[in-house]
Amino acid sequence: MLNVGERPDPNVEVHKFYSGAVLGVALLALVFQAFLHKYGRWAELIDLPLLVTVYFGVSRRNPVTGMFLGGTIGILQDALSHDNPIGMYGIAKTIIGYLASSIGGRVDTEHPVSRFLLVFFCFHFHQVILAITQRVLLNHSAPLFTLRLLLDSLVTAAFAVPLFALLDRLRRPS
Amino acid sequence: MIDTYSRRRPLALLAVVVVAQVLLLAFQIKGEHDVRLIRFWAVELVTPLERAGTWMFSRVGGAWGGYVGLRNARAENQRMRAQLDQLELRNRELESHAAEAQRLETLLSFREAHPEASMLAAQVIGSSADPTSHTLFINRGERDHLRLNLGVVTPEGIVGKIVEVLPNTAQVLLINDKDSGVGALFSGSRTHGVVKGSGDPEPRMDYVVNDEKVQPGDLIATSGEDRIFPKDFPIGAVESAKPGNPFQTIRVHPAARLDRLEDVIVLLSQQQVVFKKPETSATAAAPPAAPPIAQPGVTEATRQKPAAPKP
Repeated sequence: MLNVGERPDPNVEVHKFYSGAVLGVALLALVFQAFLHKYGRWAELIDLPLLVTVYFGVSRRNPVTGMFLGGTIGILQDALSHDNPIGMYGIAKTIIGYLASSIGGRVDTEHPVSRFLLVFFCFHFHQVILAITQRVLLNHSAPLFTLRLLLDSLVTAAFAVPLFALLDRLRRPS
Repeated sequence: MIDTYSRRRPLALLAVVVVAQVLLLAFQIKGEHDVRLIRFWAVELVTPLERAGTWMFSRVGGAWGGYVGLRNARAENQRMRAQLDQLELRNRELESHAAEAQRLETLLSFREAHPEASMLAAQVIGSSADPTSHTLFINRGERDHLRLNLGVVTPEGIVGKIVEVLPNTAQVLLINDKDSGVGALFSGSRTHGVVKGSGDPEPRMDYVVNDEKVQPGDLIATSGEDRIFPKDFPIGAVESAKPGNPFQTIRVHPAARLDRLEDVIVLLSQQQVVFKKPETSATAAAPPAAPPIAQPGVTEATRQKPAAPKP
């Protein structure tokens, strides 16, 4: 069983990025997410901030860093939405950032298949957290699982494979 | 321990960050009744504690108040008991004073009603130690110019006569003593007789022939023949009358309450006194069963006759 938050495996490599790369990519993801929404519903299939959170969490492999990065991205995502209370995506992405960092410290996530599966899993876990939060705090009947969510998760996971490969170029050579 | 702490620290940090964001959400979200969730949670969190605190304080305060109240009630109870005792004592004292004042008022009224008579008020200070002897002592004596055979009365009726005079006291022989004898007559029929003591509380009237009609309730007054009491002073009333040999046996209920005398009047002379019963003491001091005292000088004959027109 995976013990999240424990010290990472010393045999797994911790990647470092050029300065400003993490912040810049996160901001770009948020901007694109808001920008693409204007061009049709197909853009809603992909959750770019989630992908950025998972990617940097897995790469940095530090739960605290991944947690704060996910939290920051989530809160900014909440702030850019017009009706979400601040903290909805913040909570979900904080936990996802922490989880992704913890998994990245244990498992090799460089392979495309593992990345696909990781994003697929994180997408649904993110959705579960969102649904629970909405149900408990907002008293909204948010779905835990639908076919649309399944389609979204497959598209997002498929999109994550080339995106992560692209983001790998921002890594500083060790 | 330190290793465990360092391993758990990210998880604890995650919990803190998530809780902080939940609180942030709760600060923004308004639930039912347009109340922010954070306020609702805060109230829900604090209210049970406040309720428990209030319950505990009320219980402790109630118990303490009860304890203090009980202690105060005990002390107050003792204090009030003492006060009640004092008040009862004071009440008895006042009742005694009131009774004494009434008696003195009666005597004064009697004295004012008979200004022509020379009389002296006296207090009963003792009685005879011999149960068969009906005598009493008064607080007047030779220094008050008392002498033997002076009549002693009360506003209700005659009491007896002085049989012994000492410097400061005098002994009075009551009319129910076996050695006593008083000249008497029926107020109605004017039939004479002698009221004698028999040793019983009630004296008898002797020397009344059997032919004389005597009814219970007939009034008896002094005849003045004994030269001790003035004529027509009330003695009492007939309680029962039986034919005897050679005279009737008539039991007399004394007008004066011989068994509870406290203040008496000594008649200093045997001069004629027109008895006037004082109104203030008539109803209070008369025995319940005793018939009304006759008006002085009014006979059965005069009662039946219509009043003569005045010129």
